[in-house]
Amino acid sequence: MAERRLHKILSAVVKIKPGEEVLAILVFFYFFLITAPFGIVKSLRDANFLDDLKVENLPFAYLSAILIAVAVSFHAKLQSRISRRLLLQSTLAFFILTGLLFWALFSMPDHWKGLALIYWMWANLFVVTLTTQFWFLVNDVFNPREAKRLIGFFGSGGILGGVAGNLLPGFLAKPETANRLLLASAAFLCVCLVVVSVIFSWLKANEDRYAAAPDRDPKAVRKEPRHVGLGDSFRSVRSDAYLRLMAWIVLATGIVSTFIDWQSKSLIELSPAAKANYASFFGRFNAGILVFAFLFQLVLTSRFINRFGIRTGLLIYPVIILLCSLGIGVLPTLGFAIAIKGSDKALSYSINQSSRELLYIPVLPEMKYRAKVFIDMFLNRFSKAVGGVILLGLIYLVQRWPFAAIGFKPIVWVSFASGAFILVWIILNVKISRAYVREVKGQLAKKWERADGVVADRMDVDTAKLVVDAIESRTQSSTLFALHLYDLARQNRLSPEIRNLLALKPIEHSSSNTRPLFEYDASPWIADFEEPGSPVEMDTEIREILALEEYQKVMGDYAGKVLEDKDARSETARMELAKAIGLMDGRSALTDKLDDLLGDDSAKVFQYSAESAGKLKKKVHVPLLARKLADPKTCEDARSALEKYRGAIAGALSDYLNDVEEKPEIRKQAASLLARIGNQEAADALLEALGHGPDVLKAGLIDALDRLRSEVPEVQFKDGVVRVQFAAEIETLGPAKNPSDLLPLFKLLGLVYDHEDIFRAYQNLLKGTKNSIAYAVELLDHTVSQDIKERLFPLLESFSGRRSGDSSP
Amino acid sequence: MMINKREKNSIVIFDIEGEIRRSDITDVTLHQLVKEQLEVGRKHILLNFDKVDFIDSFGVGEILASYISTHNLGGKLKLARISKKLFLIFQITMLTKVLDIHDEEASALQSFFKD
Repeated sequence: MAERRLHKILSAVVKIKPGEEVLAILVFFYFFLITAPFGIVKSLRDANFLDDLKVENLPFAYLSAILIAVAVSFHAKLQSRISRRLLLQSTLAFFILTGLLFWALFSMPDHWKGLALIYWMWANLFVVTLTTQFWFLVNDVFNPREAKRLIGFFGSGGILGGVAGNLLPGFLAKPETANRLLLASAAFLCVCLVVVSVIFSWLKANEDRYAAAPDRDPKAVRKEPRHVGLGDSFRSVRSDAYLRLMAWIVLATGIVSTFIDWQSKSLIELSPAAKANYASFFGRFNAGILVFAFLFQLVLTSRFINRFGIRTGLLIYPVIILLCSLGIGVLPTLGFAIAIKGSDKALSYSINQSSRELLYIPVLPEMKYRAKVFIDMFLNRFSKAVGGVILLGLIYLVQRWPFAAIGFKPIVWVSFASGAFILVWIILNVKISRAYVREVKGQLAKKWERADGVVADRMDVDTAKLVVDAIESRTQSSTLFALHLYDLARQNRLSPEIRNLLALKPIEHSSSNTRPLFEYDASPWIADFEEPGSPVEMDTEIREILALEEYQKVMGDYAGKVLEDKDARSETARMELAKAIGLMDGRSALTDKLDDLLGDDSAKVFQYSAESAGKLKKKVHVPLLARKLADPKTCEDARSALEKYRGAIAGALSDYLNDVEEKPEIRKQAASLLARIGNQEAADALLEALGHGPDVLKAGLIDALDRLRSEVPEVQFKDGVVRVQFAAEIETLGPAKNPSDLLPLFKLLGLVYDHEDIFRAYQNLLKGTKNSIAYAVELLDHTVSQDIKERLFPLLESFSGRRSGDSSP
Repeated sequence: MMINKREKNSIVIFDIEGEIRRSDITDVTLHQLVKEQLEVGRKHILLNFDKVDFIDSFGVGEILASYISTHNLGGKLKLARISKKLFLIFQITMLTKVLDIHDEEASALQSFFKD
């Protein structure tokens, strides 16, 4: 009951699923209890530094970030040696104790001025360590889709903590006693320690739900190679193009962030109101900004990312910062300083942080933890040191000739330089948003191909049929056998394996007068086809014989007799005749006899007649073949024959498809044949029929369209028509019980989107692990348009929570 | 190509020797020889291919023309001792269904009396 109420309350602000409530709230508070003390620590950091060391020394403070490498390296080693639980708890304990130590040191009346720099470094270590550990836990516990849903909620917890943490110095800090707030910071961390313990206890109690992925077990960290130091982490990042791109983005972000910090502080320092009580000013300022960030995060971030995607999420922040930075360059006022710092804080903690964490979604877990050590812990801070060095160099340079001669203040130069770095950052963001989709695809293996496509690609069905027919004919008729051998030889298909196969069994009987000649193993006979040049010479000779006027006369009489005798005994003769006609030229009068043979009641006679019709490709035979599509005994042979006509009969098949008086079976087969024809005319005919055809044909038409698309990717389908059909299909589908129910929808999507991507996603939805189902949804999220997402995703989300096998026996 | 005529039990036997091909046409063709026999009332004709090395489509045309002429006059034309390869070609072209082909001359001769 309580859980249901909690679910109802949380549902108002976050897309939460039943069972996720308790953990989501605990994680929310975990982030809150990290960022609240950091709000205090950071305000005091800035205030102490500006009071004791002044703004001109700020670049040196930025530079000190390089020392964070030592701490990160130590943390990485610790991370690989102890469980996640112990790591998080001991880190919190460390910052509680060291925070108290700083309070004691700052309380000394004549404390050493350099302490402000040490404290600056400690504050940086504080934020980088505790934030990274928080995201470790999020990655451990939630799969990509869950993270994407809940990240806005967790982020808002962090921002709310930032608001609270900044409000305290904002309202309570007095210049002499501000450092007492470090006691409040320690108190927040003590509560955080308790929350972290509760989270791990809860996870243990709910192992069945949260033990799906081995990486979810906090102790799974032990499965990673031991001694994952900073060097290992760096090598992992260096070896992967996607991670390298992420690293460049973090570097660019850090450099820009340093520039922004310097730009804003340079202008704030000139403000008398701020100068009177830095701790209070920064506290109130930060709190105000974070209130905005909190609201943005809570209400907009998840919706924004879901609607506009990660790319827009990654771009909105640098674009706004770019405008503000150029604004300072043109008009260096406090207003722009507040605008740039405000935008920086509001957007970097909300949409940018969330989007950046989502970029880790397609990275394999073990790689992710390695990369995070270098990127999030080391590079995140080191980039500020790089920014500091560039800033120092820039300030030094612009104060000298020829720049000094222009007369701009350093802040103007820094603003324009900042603009240049932001542009680079924007370009990198565009690149990674493209790479992200590629990486998500890379996580999804295509599990199978269309069976009919595989058969067509990998099997020579015609040869297989010919060989089987040849084997069968050995005991039936030596003429038929010879015709098959010739057919195989003519098509260069009489391979040694097939020869051996055909020679295995002797001919059992022969009705010919030449019995002694052929009453033995077929091997020597087959050997006639093995003589050098034999099939070619023989082919020429046979073609010439078939064209002879005398031959046509003799065989015309014979064919007439065979066709007159319709009893079962003459079936073999009709089969032979049907087969032989296939060897003739289409202009030969004898081929007219095929009209009768195609109407033969014997399925075997029809088989050979259809085969010959397929070779001759005479349009007059199309209706005779089409008629046989309705009969299961003759359907396959008729199909094979009609397929041989290729595009020449697209119009005729389209007529069958659209003929309302035609048998549904023939119309279905016509659709399937149009798919095999695979040209634009066939595609248009199928799509048009889908719009007007009866429901009984729909499944077949959608399948035919899908087959055509999978085999001929260059064929185009009218986007509007497909969308209308998609909407209609989703209406008729109703509530889907299994992902397989959605197959027609995916087939339709495959017509207008990348077919490979759509089916990669579908197959993983159907047969993937819980994580690959989440990746599949993620891929679709970045592939299909918003209107389709709105219709499709409610159906998909109901499956993405299940693991494969949940819905199937 | 050489063609020798002999008779046995009032059956005309043509022993053909060499190659029957378009490029080797002699003054008198097989079909003409058969027609001459038909004209003098000899309607049972056996073509012996024992010494034939090769027959091209022209040769097959000659055989078929001879067959048609004989058949139209109510006579019988049979073939004996054709090569395996020619038999295979006849099978592929379905001519085995029309032409009466025998392995040996003796069985061919006997068959005239059985019909």
